[in-house]
Amino acid sequence: MASLSYRSAIRIASRELRFSRGKFFFVILSVAIGVAALTGVRGFSSSFRAALLDRARSIMAADLSARMFHQPTPAEQKGLDEIAAESVQMTPVTELLSMASSAKTLDPLLVSLKAVDPTLYPFYGDVDLNPAGKLRDFLKNDTVVVADDLLVRLRLNVGDSLKIGSRALRIAAVVTNEPDRLSGNFATGPRVFITQKGLDSSGLLAPGSHAGQRYLFKLPKPTNGDPISDKAVADLKDRLEKLLPEAQITDYRETNPALTQGLDRATSLLSLMSLVALVLGAVGVAMAMRAHLEQRLDTIAIMKSLGAGSGEIIRIYLIQTLLLGLMGGLIGVAVGGFVQMAFPYFLGKLLGVPTVMHLQIRTVLTGLAVGILTTLLFTLPPLLDIRTVRPILILRRAVDEVSDPFFTALWKRVTKNVAQIAAVVLILVGLAAIATTLSDSAMVGRVFSLGLVVVLAVLLAACAALLAGLRVFLARTRLHLPSAVRHGLANLYRPGNPSAALLAAVGLGVMQIMAIFLVQQAVVKDLHLSSAPNLPNVFLVDITSSEVDGVRKLLKLQPSVTSEPELLPVVSSRIIAIDGVPATEVKLKNFPRRMLQTISLTSFTAAPEGTNVVEGKWWPASEDHPVVAISQRQAERLGVQVGSKVTFAAQDAQIVATVVALTKADGQHTYSRAEFILPPAVLKGLPVVWYGGVHVDPQRVGELQRSLYQNYPTVTVINVAQVLETVRTVVVQIIYVIQFLAAFSVFAGIVILASAIAGTRYRRVREVVVLKTLGATRARIAAVFSIEFAVLGLVAGLVGVAFANVITRVLLGRMSVPYHFYVSWSVIAVLATAAVTVLTGWGASFRVLSQKPLEVLREE
Amino acid sequence: MIAVEGLRKSIRNGARTVDILKGIDFTVPAGQFVAIMGSSGSGKSTLLGLLAGLDTPSAGDVRLNGTAISYLPEDKLARVRGRTVGFVFQSYQLVPTLTALENVLLPYELNVEGSERDGEQRARELLESVGLSGRLDHYPVQLSGGEQQRVALARAFILRPPIVLADEPTGNLDSANGSHVLELLLRLNRVEGTTLVLVTHDPVLAGYADRRIVLRDGIVIADELQQPAELAVR
Repeated sequence: MASLSYRSAIRIASRELRFSRGKFFFVILSVAIGVAALTGVRGFSSSFRAALLDRARSIMAADLSARMFHQPTPAEQKGLDEIAAESVQMTPVTELLSMASSAKTLDPLLVSLKAVDPTLYPFYGDVDLNPAGKLRDFLKNDTVVVADDLLVRLRLNVGDSLKIGSRALRIAAVVTNEPDRLSGNFATGPRVFITQKGLDSSGLLAPGSHAGQRYLFKLPKPTNGDPISDKAVADLKDRLEKLLPEAQITDYRETNPALTQGLDRATSLLSLMSLVALVLGAVGVAMAMRAHLEQRLDTIAIMKSLGAGSGEIIRIYLIQTLLLGLMGGLIGVAVGGFVQMAFPYFLGKLLGVPTVMHLQIRTVLTGLAVGILTTLLFTLPPLLDIRTVRPILILRRAVDEVSDPFFTALWKRVTKNVAQIAAVVLILVGLAAIATTLSDSAMVGRVFSLGLVVVLAVLLAACAALLAGLRVFLARTRLHLPSAVRHGLANLYRPGNPSAALLAAVGLGVMQIMAIFLVQQAVVKDLHLSSAPNLPNVFLVDITSSEVDGVRKLLKLQPSVTSEPELLPVVSSRIIAIDGVPATEVKLKNFPRRMLQTISLTSFTAAPEGTNVVEGKWWPASEDHPVVAISQRQAERLGVQVGSKVTFAAQDAQIVATVVALTKADGQHTYSRAEFILPPAVLKGLPVVWYGGVHVDPQRVGELQRSLYQNYPTVTVINVAQVLETVRTVVVQIIYVIQFLAAFSVFAGIVILASAIAGTRYRRVREVVVLKTLGATRARIAAVFSIEFAVLGLVAGLVGVAFANVITRVLLGRMSVPYHFYVSWSVIAVLATAAVTVLTGWGASFRVLSQKPLEVLREE
Repeated sequence: MIAVEGLRKSIRNGARTVDILKGIDFTVPAGQFVAIMGSSGSGKSTLLGLLAGLDTPSAGDVRLNGTAISYLPEDKLARVRGRTVGFVFQSYQLVPTLTALENVLLPYELNVEGSERDGEQRARELLESVGLSGRLDHYPVQLSGGEQQRVALARAFILRPPIVLADEPTGNLDSANGSHVLELLLRLNRVEGTTLVLVTHDPVLAGYADRRIVLRDGIVIADELQQPAELAVR
C-alpha cells in the first residue's frame, strides 16, 4: 500500500516548523532550557563532586585502608600481589609508640612513630612541611620529619639528631599537617615520620612489637577521564574484606561522616534538580505541542480527506517533534556546556576549588538523548489525538456531544482512549527509567516518579473540581458579578480552553520548583550545622583525673580556644567474651582480634552531643545496671545486637553488660570517639584517663601546645585543625554550589513555565478578535485575561506548594534532615505563582491584543 | 457510481438531538454531473461529507463504485477516499505550508506507490491547464482566492478519481473568478470523464448540471434530470 514517503513527511514537517517559527520558539526554548539545566547541573555537579571526593580521599590519603596487627600471611600476600597486579597501588603505613631521645641531652620522650614510603605516601593530599617541600624530598632513610611539639619538648631544632631505637636520624623538617591524621591512632606522643627502611634499621620492629599496620590502596583512574567510581571502591572493599578477615577495612567515605553526608545530600539534591529541569522542559514541550496540533486540525482534516491515514499524519508530526527535540537538545547541550564551563569561572573565587572542568561526551549525549526522549514521550498524547481528528471538520465545525450516563461515558472514554492511557503509562515508565538512570540516588528517582503520578492525579482532580465549582458558582451569581470577572472565570471552563492542562502543568512546575527550594533550604541549614566553625579541632590525650579540672580551667583561659572543652572519661578494658563465647573464639567481621584487648569504655548519663541512638533505647539517668551502648559500626564488626551480652574486663573487675542501644556519631565531636558507653555508676571506682577536644583558632594551635606542655607535660596534643578546616571548607563549598545550582534550576523552571503559559496565546487570538469586533477595549480584554490567569495561578500555586511540602517532607525524611513548614515561604510562593502567571499571560497576550481584528479574520 | 440508501445523520447538541439527514436515497451513474441544492441548514454539506466518507452516518449506507464506505475503519476509508474521490471545497483547504505544486502533488504522495516524477509531471500539466504554470512555487498565502481554488481543482483531479465532490466551489469568489473556476471544473470533468457532485445553493450554478437534487430539512424534495446550460467559453 502506498504511503507518504519519509522524504515527503520530513519536508512537510520541516516546512511547518519554518512557517511557525514564533510558535516553535517556545517548544525549542523549553527543551533547550530543560536540557541545558540537565547538562549544566549534571556535568558541573559530577566534575565538582569528583573534585570534592578527591579532597575527601585526602583525609584517608587513599581510596581504602586495611588496618591490621599482623604481617600478611603468604596466602594474604598472594592475594594482595594479585590486587597490585591490577594497577591498584598499595603502600604500607606502620604506626607504633616508641621512645625517642635527643642525641644531645638523651632526654627520653614517648613518640608516635609513623613509617611510610615517601615515594608513594600520601596517595591523596599533601603532608605540609616547614620548610615547605615534598615529603619525599625530606624524608630519606637517614632522616625523620617531626611534629613541632617534639622540638619544643626536647629543645631541638631542624638539623639536629634524634635517636630512635638504635639509630640516630637527622631531623629534616617539621610536619605541620598530615592528611590522614583523623584516620590514624590518636596515640600519645608527638608525631615522628620515618621511612619504612629507617624503621627496619632501627631494630624496633622486633617480633611481638605493638606496631599497627595500615595498608593504603589507590585505585587506578579510568582511562576515559571519569572519576573513580564508588562501585570500584566498594568492589575492592568487598574483596579486601574477604581476603583479610582479620583486618579492619575502611573506605574514604567512612572517614568523615559530615563530609560524606554532605556529598550524599548534595548528590540527591543535584539529581532532583536535574530531574526537575527535565520534567519542566517536557511539560513546556507538551503544552506547546498540544497548542500547535490544535491549530493544525484543519490541515490534518485536509490531509485525511485527501487519503492520508492517521499513521502517515502522525509520522509527519512525530518527525516534527523529533526535529524540535533535536534542535532544542542541541541548543540545550551547547548552553549547558557553556553553563558548565561558566560555573567555575563565576564560582572560582568564591570557592577556590580546583575543579577541573571537562565536558564529558557521555553527559552531552545523555542530555541530548533525554531531551529528545522526553519531548517524544510528552508529545505522545497530543500526537495520538490525531487519530480522532475527523475529516468532516473541513465541512462542519459542529462536533457530536455525548450525553451518555456517567459510567457509560466513562467506559466509552476509557475504551476509546486505550492508546492515550497506554501513552500515559509509557510516559510514567519512561520517566521513572530516565529518573533512575539519571539520578545517582535511586531513592530520589523513586520518590520523584511516584510523587509525579500522585501529583498529576490530584492536580487533574483539583482542576475538575475547580471547573465544576466555577460552573456552579457562575450559574448562581451570573449577573451579579462584574462582567470582566464573569468572563474571566467563564474562560476557565470554556470548551477548548486548555485550563485543565495548564493548571496541571503550572501546578506541577510550582511543586517541583518549590520542592527544590525547600529541600535546598533544609539541606543547607543542616550542612551549616555540621560545618559549624566551633567543632573540636584539637584533641588532648592522656589527661589524668587529677589534671582534668586544671586542664579545663587552662583551656577556658586560653584566648585561642573558642569553644567549651569536650572532655571524655575513658576506662581501658578488653572484651573477654561476647554472649558467653570467649574472645579467642568469637566470630569477628573485619575486626582485628588484637583490638579486643584495647577497648576504651566511656560513661555518660545521656547520649553525648552528636551521638544518636539508631537502635534500642538509652538508659534512664539513674541506671546502675551493667548496660552498654555500642557504636553501630563496631557492633556489626563484633557481631552484637541489642540484647547481646558483652563481657568487659577492666583491671580486676568483670562487667557483663547488656547491649541496650546502638549509636551513630556525627564524627564532629570528641564524643564521637566513644564507641562503648556505659552508665557512670557501672564504671565507678575504675581508673579513668580523660580525653579532650576543643576548638582552637587554627593559626594559634602552637600557643596552646606550649602552654599545655608547660603546665601538663604528659598531656599529648593532637592537632587536626587543618584537616577539619579542609572538611569544613568542602562542606561550605557544597553549600555554595547547592544554593547556586538551586537558584539556577528555579530560574530555569520559571522561564519554562512562563513559556508554557505564553505558548497558549495563539489560542486567544480568535477570542480577542471577536471581543474587539464587538467593541471590547484592550483594557477590558486584559482585565478578563488577568482574572483568568490569576485564578489559574492561585489554584496551581496552592496545589503546587502543598505538594512541594509533602514531597520535601518525604525526601528530607529519607535524607535524615529535619523538615520545617515555612508559612511565609509558602504564601510567597503562591502569590508569586499568581503574579508570574498574570505577568506572562499579559506579556504573551500583548501582541495578540494589539492585532487588528481584520488581519486575523482574513487569515481564517 | 454512487449509491445512497436510507442515509440518516443526527448529531447531539447538549440535551438536544438534531436530525440533519432524515433518510436519503439516490443513485448517481458514472459520468453524471449532479447538483445538490438546498438552503442553509438543509443538510447539503453533511450529505457531501457522508458521500465522501468524511463522516459516519447514523444509519444507511453509501457505496462508491460498489464499495460500501460508511462503516469502514478510518484508515481504510482514507485509502478509498484518496483513490476514489477528488475534493473541491468552498474555502479551498490548501495546506498552507506547501507550495502550489506540492499541494497538487500531495494526494499522489499519499496514495500512489512509485516514482513521484510521474506525479510531478501530471501536477505540472494540471496546474498549467488551470493557468498557474507561473505560480508553481508559490505558497497559498501568496495566491489570490481564485488562484487558490484553481490549485484545489488541480489537486482534485491529480489521481484521475472516478468521482469529484465540490462544495460551493465558487462560493468565496467574485463572479469573474467564479465563472473561471466553474469553467475549469466542467472542462476537467469532461476531459477526465468523472462523476461530479456539486453542492450549491446557487440555481445558476446548478443549471449547468445533468441532474438536480433538492434538499429541505434533511429530505430530498426534488430529484430531476435537466438539460445542462451551456457555459459561455471565455
